[in-house]
Amino acid sequence: MSYLFFLPLLSLLLIIFQVSVTDIMFFGKISLEISLLLVIYAGFHLKVIKGFILSFLLGFFLDCIAGSISGLFTFIYTFLFFISKFVYPRIYPEKKSFIVIFTLICALLEQLLVILFNELIYGVNLFQHILRIFLPQALVISVLSPVFFNIFFRLEVLLNGGDARSIRRT
Amino acid sequence: MKSKPKKYQLIIIVFTLIIVLLSLTFHSVKRSSETGIFKKLVLEIAAPLMDVINTSFEELTKGWKRYIFLVGLEEENRQLKKKNILLTGQLIQYQEGYLEGIRLQKLLKLKENLNYSTITAMVVGRNKLSGFQTILINKGTAHNLRIGLPVAADQGVIGRITEASWHVSKILLLTDENSKIDALVQRTRTPGILHGSGFISHLKYVPKTDDVRVGDAVISSGMGGVFPKGLLLGFVKSVDKRDAALFQKVEVTPSVDVARIEEVLVFLPDNDDKK
Repeated sequence: MSYLFFLPLLSLLLIIFQVSVTDIMFFGKISLEISLLLVIYAGFHLKVIKGFILSFLLGFFLDCIAGSISGLFTFIYTFLFFISKFVYPRIYPEKKSFIVIFTLICALLEQLLVILFNELIYGVNLFQHILRIFLPQALVISVLSPVFFNIFFRLEVLLNGGDARSIRRT
Repeated sequence: MKSKPKKYQLIIIVFTLIIVLLSLTFHSVKRSSETGIFKKLVLEIAAPLMDVINTSFEELTKGWKRYIFLVGLEEENRQLKKKNILLTGQLIQYQEGYLEGIRLQKLLKLKENLNYSTITAMVVGRNKLSGFQTILINKGTAHNLRIGLPVAADQGVIGRITEASWHVSKILLLTDENSKIDALVQRTRTPGILHGSGFISHLKYVPKTDDVRVGDAVISSGMGGVFPKGLLLGFVKSVDKRDAALFQKVEVTPSVDVARIEEVLVFLPDNDDKK
C-alpha cells in the first residue's frame, strides 16, 4: 500500500531530479535518462500492474515536465516496459553485459520512436542529431545501467521493509 | 505454466493498452487543446522543486567557481608579489645608479672648476661610536693619498685625511673637535678659524667690529697650505656679539651633510699624478 502511495511522489521527484540535476551536471548536452533505466528495471523485476503504473507515471511526468509531444513518453515507457517484461523470462537478465546491451537497444529504440513521432507529427527531421546527441546519450546510459540497477534494487529492498528475499529476483 | 487463453488474454490487453496510449498521444497532439488538470498539477508541483534545485545548484556552482577563482587569485597574487619584490629591487638599483650618476656629475663639475688634481673615492665607513667625527674612504696610499690631503664633496669641504693605509683612508670631518681650518667670510672677507664642535662648527677669532651676518658663506682661505682657496665650508647660522670677549661668537653650519655623503673628492698636491 505504501508502495502505491509513494510511487507517484518518488516518480515525480526522480523526473525532477533527472531534468534539473543531470542537465546541470552535463551542461545541457546529454540527458541522463534514469527514468528509462527504471522502466527497464521494472520490466525485469516488478509485477505487471506495478511496473505498468510506474512506467506510465514516469512517462506521464516526463511528458508534463519536459516532453514536447503530449503522451509520447507515456507511450514509449509503457511500450519499453512491456518489451522488457517480454524479454525477461527468455534471457539471463542478471548478467551485467546483458543489462548494458539491452539498455543500449532500449535507449536507441526510444530515440528512434522520438525521431519517428517528431517526423510524423511535426514533420521535424531529427536524424541529424543521431550521432551528436542520441548515440552518446544511449551509450552513457547503457554503460551506467548496472550501477543504477544495483541502486534500484537496494531502494526496492528498502521500500519492502529491508527484506531482500521478498523481492523477486532471478 | 499459464494456460493458452490466459496468455493470449494478456497479450491482447497489452496491445490494447499500447494502441490506446498511441491513439491518445495522436489525439492530444491533433486536438492541441488547453493543458489538462493532471498536467497542470504536475507542473505546479514540479516548478517550485525544480526552482529550488536549480537555485541550490547555481549557488553551489557559483561558490565553486568563486573558490576556483580565489585559488587562482591567490596564486596570481603570490606571483605578482614575487614580481613586485623583483621589480622593486631592480628599481632601487636603477635609482641608486641614477642618483650616483648625479652625485658623480656634481663632483666632476667641482673637479672641472678647480685647478687641482683630484681622486674620487667612495665612503666605506662612518665612525659613529667614538666621539670623533670621521669617515673611511676606499682609497689609500696605493692611490697616492697621504695624511693631510683635503677632501671635499660636491657641496663643499668635508675634512682632511688623518690616516692612510694602502687602500683605505680616514678622514677627519670639519665638524670634529680637532678640526681647524683657516677660513673667510665670503661677503666681507673677514678671516677666522673654523673650529669643529660636534654637528656644527664655530668661526673663531672674528673681531666684534667685523660685519658677519646670518647666512653668510664661509669659505677656505687657502692659508695653511692644506685646503685650496675658495672652497665652500658652510653658512653662518648665528652671530653673538653680546659676550664681553674680544671676538664675536659665530656658529657655522657645514655645507655638506656628512651623515649622507657617499662619494668624495680628494685633492692631490700639484706634483701628484692626475687620476
